[in-house]
Amino acid sequence: MASFSTNEFKSGLKVLIDGDPCTIVENEFVKPGKGQAFSRVKIKNLKTGRVVEKTFKSGDSVEAADVIDLDMEFLYADGEFYHFMMTDGSFEQHAADSKAVGDTVKWLKEQEVYIITLFNGAPLAVTPPNHIELEVTQTDPGLKGDTAQGGSKPATLSTGAVVNVPLFIEQGEILRVDTRTGDYVSRATKK
Amino acid sequence: MKGRPTATRTMLEARASLLTGLRAFFEARHSLEVDVPAIAKAPASDPWLDSFTVKDPAGVSIGYLLTSPETYLKRLLSTHQRPMHAIGKAYRANEEGSEHAIEFTMLEWYRPCEVRPFETMVGEIQDLVESLTEYGRPEVISYRDLFESTFGVNPHRTDSQALIPFAKDLLGVKAAAQLDLDSLLNLLFATEIEPHLGNHVVVDFPMIQAALARVETREDDAVAKRAELYMAGNEIANGYYELTDPAEQSRRFAHDQARREQLNRPAIPKDEALLEALTAGLPESYGVALGVDRLLKIVTQSKTLAECMTFTGHL
Repeated sequence: MASFSTNEFKSGLKVLIDGDPCTIVENEFVKPGKGQAFSRVKIKNLKTGRVVEKTFKSGDSVEAADVIDLDMEFLYADGEFYHFMMTDGSFEQHAADSKAVGDTVKWLKEQEVYIITLFNGAPLAVTPPNHIELEVTQTDPGLKGDTAQGGSKPATLSTGAVVNVPLFIEQGEILRVDTRTGDYVSRATKK
Repeated sequence: MKGRPTATRTMLEARASLLTGLRAFFEARHSLEVDVPAIAKAPASDPWLDSFTVKDPAGVSIGYLLTSPETYLKRLLSTHQRPMHAIGKAYRANEEGSEHAIEFTMLEWYRPCEVRPFETMVGEIQDLVESLTEYGRPEVISYRDLFESTFGVNPHRTDSQALIPFAKDLLGVKAAAQLDLDSLLNLLFATEIEPHLGNHVVVDFPMIQAALARVETREDDAVAKRAELYMAGNEIANGYYELTDPAEQSRRFAHDQARREQLNRPAIPKDEALLEALTAGLPESYGVALGVDRLLKIVTQSKTLAECMTFTGHL
């Protein structure tokens, strides 16, 4: 099994800590003028999303995690699994469970491309594109005369996500939304 | 463009002005600036320092890049018995990070001193900070006071068993249990105490960390007469009331060598020239090494060491 020594630590490195796949967020080299060196590392557990701090003696090594990020298109959900297909022309399919999909479920749209993180070949996490275009399925009409600037109202999108939108947005419009913040960005140009 | 200098014009000027200030400080104190070689036959014996080997074109090793100018300054001190300082590059392999670079600028100074050498040294470090930075006079505090107030343990009378519980959250139980007392003290000090030191000179270190410092008894504890300057959570300078006894020096070399073997680190030649200088006679003296780049980071209130270096990532 491949492993990394502390002097190879850098952010983004995928390692196995107590059996869980983790990514190194930050690595700090600590060494007093006289004395042993250590690496203080911020590690994000890819399963739980929790960030923990760990310290290693310089020269220690940790096992590499078989973690890979791949682009895949969302095909459909069957009630239990969410099915994705590789976009590299191989048509290889992967089924992610709801734990792997997590909060991304509210941004899942057929034919959209997502980043699927595989751990030992199985989907571990699903990351949506930063911006996604979705249709408004329900929103109350903006009140006439309500011209106060910055006014907003909730709108439900085709995936079930609810975002705050300006009052002029109507049902059936396509919106551009930032998936990282859940914020409305703009109207999408009509196709 | 790759290969461009890292430092801004303002940073280059700040560095030049700091170097001028340091030189003026020592000139006013009648210290002679000396220019020493960067290569030595024997590297520092410190088991935790990795030196670069210098090879001739035929691939034959001719010596080591200095991790500090100590050996040359002590040899000069033994011959000329006067205050001296050197400002130059020092090299430490495998030290790279936000506070470390493999090549950095070091100021090291030595001063013969008959009367209260340790207290004089601490005073001089305080004077330097007071006159060259806006931080004011650093507060002097003992290693023991810091350690006791943080962990409730006297660092001079503890053992590794007693410290493992404090390190297990940082390292995990198994890794903590493998550390010896020296490494445990270093880890706990570096992670739990050092970040909180704003402008302090820490004095009287555990005997196990004496390196080349004199050992004395303070309040029934045997302590190493070392003083370290910390500013804004960074170790800036390290001073010793210097060991002058060649027999004791030889014993410490042997001890370092044994630890290197234990730790599976490369064996290194003994610094015979330094032992000769001690045998010929070193005056009662103190010596301090100061990281110029780190001090520059402090005076310019920079976030990273990298932006203070003239070039980084050039290798």
